[in-house]
Amino acid sequence: MSQAVTPYLEMSQAIIEAGGEALKKCYQCGTCSGTCPWTPITHFNIRKLVRYGQLGFDGIEDFMWGCSTCKFCVDRCPRGVEIIDIVTAIRNVYSGGGMLPQSLRAFVGSLSARGNPWSGDQAKRNDWAKEKYPLYNKEMEYLFWTCCTVCYDPRNTRLARATAELLNQAALSWGIPSTDVNCCGESVRKVGDLELFERLKNVNLNYFQTNSVAKMITVSPHCLVTFKKEYGADYNIAHFSEVLASLIKEEKLKPKKDFGGIKVTYHDPCYLGRHSGIYDAPRDVIKSLPGVELVEMERNREQSMCCGGGGGGLWMEKLKGERLSDLRVEEALATGANVLATACPYCITMFEDSIRTLNVDDKIVVKDVTELFLESMEINIDEPVGDVCEIV
Amino acid sequence: MSRIGVFVCHCGLNIAKTIRVSELAEFASTLPDVVVARDYRFMCSTPGQEMIANDIKEHRLDRVIVTACSPLMHEHTFRKVIEKAGLNQYLLTIVNIREQVSWVTSDIEEGTAKAKALLNGAVYRARLLSPLSSRVIDVNSDVMVVGGGIAGIQAALELANTGKKVYLVEKNSTIGGHMAQFDKTFPTLDCSACILTPKMDAVLQHPNITLMTYCEVSEVKGFVGNFDIKIRQKARYVNHDRCNACLACTEKCPGKGIAEWDEGLVKRKAIHIPFPQAVPQKPVIDREHCTFFLKGKCRLCEKVCEHKAIDFEQEDTFTEIKVGAVIVATGYNLMDTKPLVQYGYGKYPGVYSALEVERLFNSAGPTAGKVTMRDGKEPQAIAILHCIGSRDKNNYEHCSRVCCMYSLKFAHLFKEKTSADVYQFYIDIRAAGKGYEEFYNRIIEEDVKFIRGKVARVAESSDEPGRLIVEAEDTITGKFVKLPVDMVVLSPAMIPREDSKDIGRLFNLSTDKYGFFMERHPKLAPLATMSEGIFIAGVCQSPKDIPDTVAQANGAAAEALTIVSREKMELEATTAMVNPASCCGCQNCVRVCPYGAPSFNYEKGVSEINEALCKGCGLCASVCPTSAIIARHFTNEQVLAEIEGLMEF
Amino acid sequence: MSFEPKILGIACNWCTYTGADLAGTTRLHYPQNLRVVRVMCSSRINPSFIFRAFQLGADGVLVGGCHPGDCHYNTGNLYARRRLAVTKKILEFAGLEPGRFRVEWISASEGNKFAEVVQEFTAQIKELGPQQKLKIEQLQEKA
Repeated sequence: MSQAVTPYLEMSQAIIEAGGEALKKCYQCGTCSGTCPWTPITHFNIRKLVRYGQLGFDGIEDFMWGCSTCKFCVDRCPRGVEIIDIVTAIRNVYSGGGMLPQSLRAFVGSLSARGNPWSGDQAKRNDWAKEKYPLYNKEMEYLFWTCCTVCYDPRNTRLARATAELLNQAALSWGIPSTDVNCCGESVRKVGDLELFERLKNVNLNYFQTNSVAKMITVSPHCLVTFKKEYGADYNIAHFSEVLASLIKEEKLKPKKDFGGIKVTYHDPCYLGRHSGIYDAPRDVIKSLPGVELVEMERNREQSMCCGGGGGGLWMEKLKGERLSDLRVEEALATGANVLATACPYCITMFEDSIRTLNVDDKIVVKDVTELFLESMEINIDEPVGDVCEIV
Repeated sequence: MSRIGVFVCHCGLNIAKTIRVSELAEFASTLPDVVVARDYRFMCSTPGQEMIANDIKEHRLDRVIVTACSPLMHEHTFRKVIEKAGLNQYLLTIVNIREQVSWVTSDIEEGTAKAKALLNGAVYRARLLSPLSSRVIDVNSDVMVVGGGIAGIQAALELANTGKKVYLVEKNSTIGGHMAQFDKTFPTLDCSACILTPKMDAVLQHPNITLMTYCEVSEVKGFVGNFDIKIRQKARYVNHDRCNACLACTEKCPGKGIAEWDEGLVKRKAIHIPFPQAVPQKPVIDREHCTFFLKGKCRLCEKVCEHKAIDFEQEDTFTEIKVGAVIVATGYNLMDTKPLVQYGYGKYPGVYSALEVERLFNSAGPTAGKVTMRDGKEPQAIAILHCIGSRDKNNYEHCSRVCCMYSLKFAHLFKEKTSADVYQFYIDIRAAGKGYEEFYNRIIEEDVKFIRGKVARVAESSDEPGRLIVEAEDTITGKFVKLPVDMVVLSPAMIPREDSKDIGRLFNLSTDKYGFFMERHPKLAPLATMSEGIFIAGVCQSPKDIPDTVAQANGAAAEALTIVSREKMELEATTAMVNPASCCGCQNCVRVCPYGAPSFNYEKGVSEINEALCKGCGLCASVCPTSAIIARHFTNEQVLAEIEGLMEF
Repeated sequence: MSFEPKILGIACNWCTYTGADLAGTTRLHYPQNLRVVRVMCSSRINPSFIFRAFQLGADGVLVGGCHPGDCHYNTGNLYARRRLAVTKKILEFAGLEPGRFRVEWISASEGNKFAEVVQEFTAQIKELGPQQKLKIEQLQEKA
């Protein structure tokens, strides 16, 4: 078989037109691939992906699904190349051509049919709330935007409830969206299905408009970034860790329980850290807890390592030895921490899987900073205290 | 009624591609007072110039409009053309249809329309121009060179050898600059000190050079041919007239400061000379680390000095110097790489910056030329990292030009002085220069390993404490490299001196976004600046190597000579004047002028302008409430007419 | 045909005019509605230049000088800054839309800034449509 190739510039042009304009700037220095956490452990090579895109070479489909959009390469790139845009564009061009991997088909299908990636019944979106929390209406100050993952994924519904309880404890005026809303569309956008993303977005925009939503609180940094950067409007939106940190600072919420000297390490979710620049708020929450020592992993803040769940990674199968979450859990264990805290439902899911497969669940547990704080208030979320909230 | 000639230049296709030049000339011929309008391929060429001169005579033109490139480019050329043909040079108008029209559009309709509007404005203005006579001034024949690195040294020597008097001002206590820190220079590997020290000494001995070390420029007044510059001599606390350079004081001194010349790798005494070949060989006291200044007791240096040269009472002094021209050669710094945490500089002792390594190689350096690291060991494996902060939008976009070559030089010296394996992590090897590619080939043959990929991270080794792991992708194979080494050398971006913007303000030099000085024209006037009589040389303009720096220094010396070798020179006639009949005596002009050109004549009750001091900015004219001040060549009537012309089309 | 505004530029010789030349030497394209008058310093600009331009039908006026602190004549642009701020107020008092007059500090090295500002300002003027408030024909009609 001939090894000769000819650049296929029509393909390269198609990628550019799908939003991969930044292709042109890359000079292939290797900063991205040296920085990318996948390079040492998989065959995925972000620099090659860009190179194949520049010349429209065949074979690009072999490694276009590896990127988890952690943005480490984008921040380091000396040419200012928006690499995630290129990845999204390449995936768009190819998945339009029907090259979606098997593991992503159920996820995309569910989003298309039910508006959420978890194959959940749309009508059951608010079942986690057990009718204990109010639906948002125009008189309320905040919309608590519940990410699909905290609505449907059994583990993460705890995070939804923990957040709801703390919102009540702080006596904020808030409500959850009705079951009409869709997924924010972040993952499906990164998977390249820009058309489906637009559909999901428009349903949500319609909900925001008809309900005059002005302020939003989200638990998922992925929703946060998407509303801020992709919805084309300037929303007053905050991640719950920011809200929580300021409630603690203003002494509207106070921890009670002393944890008695446990070590907690904090993992910066890519979409909260590098994508949104929020590094201190979640750490401030941890530091406010009595009897807790915050220890840092070697790679933290701007240099943090991805869990692997972004960019569709949450739904893709990865072989053992090719999972970033495994490496990250090992890094957390090396600090001697008993708790791996984070602030993103995707990270929680990835780490819980790893802790189970690595068989270290007796050594470390994963908790959202919200859950940790609720614990410190000695509130059992299975039996909510008080009846501050009205039951819908 | 005036008689105007319009000359439209094609500039090859530079203009003609996006402006219909013949249509523009035809349009010109329909405008009022235009008696002849032509277009031609290259108006600045000899036939073009002759065409203008002939038309002036044949058509008895009294105004000339050249519609071509920017006035900053050829105004001077065409002024000479019309002056030679008997017309006053200020009756020329340039219409800039190249830089500001044809090069900034691809649409010939738009381009032609805008050119017509600009030309119409020029015709309106030209009709109101008046002949002006240039001022002739005396020129001071001395030159000041600011900065005593290789650029300043070279320029000073060249000028001094032509018989001109030169003041060489250096802020450190010695001249020599960065070149004096190096051990060898690429690609010839000749000893830096061997080629530089004789020049430093020549500066000291030269009868025409006044060497002013430990000095800074504090104020610049005047203009081309007649600068008044105030110099601050920083207190040395050593009387250099008395000091005989025995250096007994430096042996006894107990004070310890950071050895700047050794890039902080070691300490030096508080009373010190920076390095053994320093010029002058006389010490200064670093007040911040002197025991006497800190604690009020000590004065050991005073006790050992047989010549009573120590003077703790010394204060900064100021001198005023008059010169005709100035060369600014203030050099560079290396970027501080500590904020780039991924490379671990300042965190891991095994990470070095390029200038530190230069000092390790230097026999007069802290290790006497032996390559031993901070822990005293000789490295077994060394990684040299290119493009740290250079070619990087997050830091400095420019290529620093010399790093590839000095990194190759480092590799050679490491191979010569140690048994270490040497790795180069690079993006591209840029070896464009005489003998540079050959040098690159030589280093490859010395078995240096080249890995094409920018390093992403330097981390501590978990297996071997004290060793470092360099992580990068080898972009040629696509493999992820984890290389254990003992020493990492960073090649940081070359950046302007921290005070370059202040120096720029003193001398009225524009700087680019990083602080490099802007040349008057990137190709045709690379050493001149927008400030007449002030020239630049060396890395303060942009990164360059020693040969280019020396060439620039020679060039700048020649440029300065073109001014100071004349006894008299012509200055722009575009100064302001007062019409005493309408002056109301408010003295606004006196208050606002930064040069003190207007003064108030109390006898006559009106302001008067000293033309020798006026620089022609026109500020006084626009603050004059009665329009009594006329800014020559930019009068209200002329500017308003131009605006009227521009708005007509 | 779409509205093609007439925009007057007044630029100082040392910074903005040179910056505009640099935009040309680096071949940065921008709309051709701007016509630049060169003065030695932004402090030379008499407010009457700006008023006259609007009377003659300019749809916008853009003034460019050196960055404050970097004036070729030391302090000229500081005077210009104050005078032009007052000029802007007077223009608005006379009924001119605020977006039609703009002052920008553009250095000799900022060719791209020059192109960007012209791009942006031209778009803004196009949005505002033809200037009617101070145009002489308009005033005469009213009288």
